[in-house]
Amino acid sequence: MAVAWIDGRSVPVADAADKAAELLSASFHPVFSLDTDVHGTRAAIALARLVGAAYDQLDGAATAREAAQVTDKGGMFIAPGEVRRRADMLVIVGALPAAHRDLIAELATTTPDLGGASERHVFLVGNEAKAPEGVKAARLSGEGGLEATLAALRARCNGRQTGKVLRNFDAFAAALAGARFPVFTFCGQSVGTLGLAMLQGLIADLNRKQRASALHLPASDNGWGSTLASTWTTGFPLCTGFGDDTADFDPWRFDVARMITEGEADLHLVVAADAKSVASVNLPLIALTGGARPVAGAAVSIAIGRPGIDHDAVVYSARVGTIASVKAQAPAEIPSAAAVLRMIAGRLPQSEVLPC
Amino acid sequence: MLTRIAGGDIIDPVNGRSGKGDLWIEDETIVAAPAGRAPDLTLDAGGCVVMAGAIDIHSHIGGGNVNTARLLLPEFHKAHAPRPAATPLARLGWTTHETGRLYAQMGFTTVVEPAMSPAAALHTHLELADIPIIDKATLAILGNDDFLLSMIRDKASAGMVEDYVAWTVASSRALGVKVINAGAAASFKENVRSFSFDDEVPFYGASSRRIVKTLQAAVSALGIPHPLHVHCNNLGIPGAPGTAAETMAAAEGLPLHLAHLQFYSYGAEGKRGFSSAGARMAELVNSTPEITIDVGQVMFGQTVTISSDVMRQFSARGSARPKKSVIFDGVADGGGVVPFDYRADFFGSLQWAIGLELFLLIDDPWRVFFTTDHPNGAPFTTYPEIFALLMSRQVREKAMEGLSKRALSLSTLPGLTREYTLADIAIMTRAAPAKLLGLKDRGHLGAGALADVAVYRKGDDIAAMFRRAAFVLKNGELVVEDGNVTHWRWGKALRLNPEPDKAMVKRLEAYHQQRYGLSLDGFVFPDAAIEREQPFGEVPCNS
Repeated sequence: MAVAWIDGRSVPVADAADKAAELLSASFHPVFSLDTDVHGTRAAIALARLVGAAYDQLDGAATAREAAQVTDKGGMFIAPGEVRRRADMLVIVGALPAAHRDLIAELATTTPDLGGASERHVFLVGNEAKAPEGVKAARLSGEGGLEATLAALRARCNGRQTGKVLRNFDAFAAALAGARFPVFTFCGQSVGTLGLAMLQGLIADLNRKQRASALHLPASDNGWGSTLASTWTTGFPLCTGFGDDTADFDPWRFDVARMITEGEADLHLVVAADAKSVASVNLPLIALTGGARPVAGAAVSIAIGRPGIDHDAVVYSARVGTIASVKAQAPAEIPSAAAVLRMIAGRLPQSEVLPC
Repeated sequence: MLTRIAGGDIIDPVNGRSGKGDLWIEDETIVAAPAGRAPDLTLDAGGCVVMAGAIDIHSHIGGGNVNTARLLLPEFHKAHAPRPAATPLARLGWTTHETGRLYAQMGFTTVVEPAMSPAAALHTHLELADIPIIDKATLAILGNDDFLLSMIRDKASAGMVEDYVAWTVASSRALGVKVINAGAAASFKENVRSFSFDDEVPFYGASSRRIVKTLQAAVSALGIPHPLHVHCNNLGIPGAPGTAAETMAAAEGLPLHLAHLQFYSYGAEGKRGFSSAGARMAELVNSTPEITIDVGQVMFGQTVTISSDVMRQFSARGSARPKKSVIFDGVADGGGVVPFDYRADFFGSLQWAIGLELFLLIDDPWRVFFTTDHPNGAPFTTYPEIFALLMSRQVREKAMEGLSKRALSLSTLPGLTREYTLADIAIMTRAAPAKLLGLKDRGHLGAGALADVAVYRKGDDIAAMFRRAAFVLKNGELVVEDGNVTHWRWGKALRLNPEPDKAMVKRLEAYHQQRYGLSLDGFVFPDAAIEREQPFGEVPCNS
């Protein structure tokens, strides 16, 4: 089975890695887009340091918003296991990615066993939020979209009047008054930075007298895992670049999608096991993807395994709420992203011992 | 490889060695002078002191809360990177890589992360594995977890508690056990806002005292070398000395370690209701031989407080500088990250003085440990300045010139004349930590010891001497020369490995399935997940 290609022609993996290293060495402004596991991220950052690249999450705007909530404001958060056991009021804010559907269904259909509560009431905020099938949930909605609804909700919870109608607020307020530990879900995919800040403001208000917190359900588990790995490795989350050996973080300057659109990059390296999400965009492309075919238009394609399917992996798990080890479901002889990235790094002329 | 460190002043209190001489190393091990053999490498230590590599027993260097602090404060690192000597958190490397580099350059070769949430053990060990050069270790947090609290409520047998503690230590790859404001994180989830030693956790009926005593007994029975590491209740509150005193009294002859005692040594006297209880606490430690403490020295400047004492951190949110913080309700514990700027005002001056009082008034350097509770009191990069303050009355007097006179008048510090000797420093930062943690292979320079060695060039500037070691050897490899890292290597995480009881594993599997809807597999991991060769080194339990 062919696992590497140069300009669409099947080649040995070593030759493809040589070509990738050659392209990276010749590039003045390489950029990396990641959608990979923790070790893939560590290896990609080590490679980025060697070649002076900027890196970001593939399609990473939502992940960047989630990181910005922490870097700019902080907040109050809770682990999913604690939500399952303690939350007697679950407030689903905005639409959530399909990946979290099972967890939400589980939370909506189980009851807390700690804290003295025996029921869990479900509310929805915004028109896009969905309740699991068969679960009764009151919807809080108003005019002006999700962020306006959150603003109105915070105002009403603080006893202030709003000019716009907030449907079902009275039922929400009654439930809140009797709740021991309400939890609000959030995701950067459906909530903007102002909405995230507003939600945290509401939670801070509530915690003056009672407990409440927010459950982070990331737009991308891989994106959040990469955010964490990048943070301990470089001191910064994603949207970081290496001008020289020193990492620099700038969510606008090192937004890789923007850099490509505005012509600031001359080489694109994508690491994503899901080949469907990878495409050549008027820029030489090194594609490390799953699948048995090269990415159309890519200068170099190398097949990588799917974390947790083809090989054991370490990933961020929103279900567990931290980094977890997962066993391969169907072990295959396909190298991991980390292995391929290290192979490329080892072929760079300036190669040195990687810090990761 | 045979290495000779030649002509240094060797300071090795464990083996009674003090004076000029040579130290010989073969591969990873210190050896007696070999007869008739020429060294492959000779390091000239003339004009230098030679000590074992230093061991830090309490420094928050990795894990979920530490990484959250990085994520909360990228501006600190951003400002630091291009101008490391002139920015907030000056000289503090904020990454795993810098942590290893900076510790090694100061002659530290083993560092303990003292607050690992067992549920986030893999995250913690991934970070620790990315810290180069030095060895690491962790303490697993227990005491706010439903499983233990339920066992206490249900009057489970001591053996069952021990099985649970053993499983936690083994599965999380910890070197010991820490309890943080026992019961408070669980109570905070029930909207309790203050929690003292005899308060009970709602729904469990377990007091903080009972949790501490239960864990202390289990740690002792399992032969875990490090005594239960206790972060007491009421941290930072004037009047906390009473809580710390109650906790010490509860030791009742069994070893107990109290963390960062400085934060519990605030009296409530004076017009501002804030005074020093440093002398009183030191006297209490002096008269309670089963107690060891570390100080948690405060130094001035910007830092960030990181703690699993979520109740305390929540209450400190208002004092955050800059104005942002993270509060986290975790499975079985919690955490909070609150940035803080220690200023040389009345309060800051008194905190600084109280820490030094503890150092100087606790008589036995084997029972007082050198920490800033990094980064809570100050970044670990301030250690050289603290060594100078301890070793020189003159340095202390100069430092006090710029501080609040009113604060200093409430402290005994201005009248203290004690100066630590190099032997005291070697005990406090090498020999005693090794003994406390059960690390028999290090902390001394006797034949057979691991060749972790720090060589410092003597000079009038004590801080400069300790900031940039002349040579550092880790496992016999020369890693630092003239204060700079010259060789990179990967250390290990030191762990205990008690055999988990099979019935307890079965019970925990059922518990996780029922309570969390997850297999126990979601909370454990194989060594291979770290993706490093030999990421762990095993330390035996006491028999």
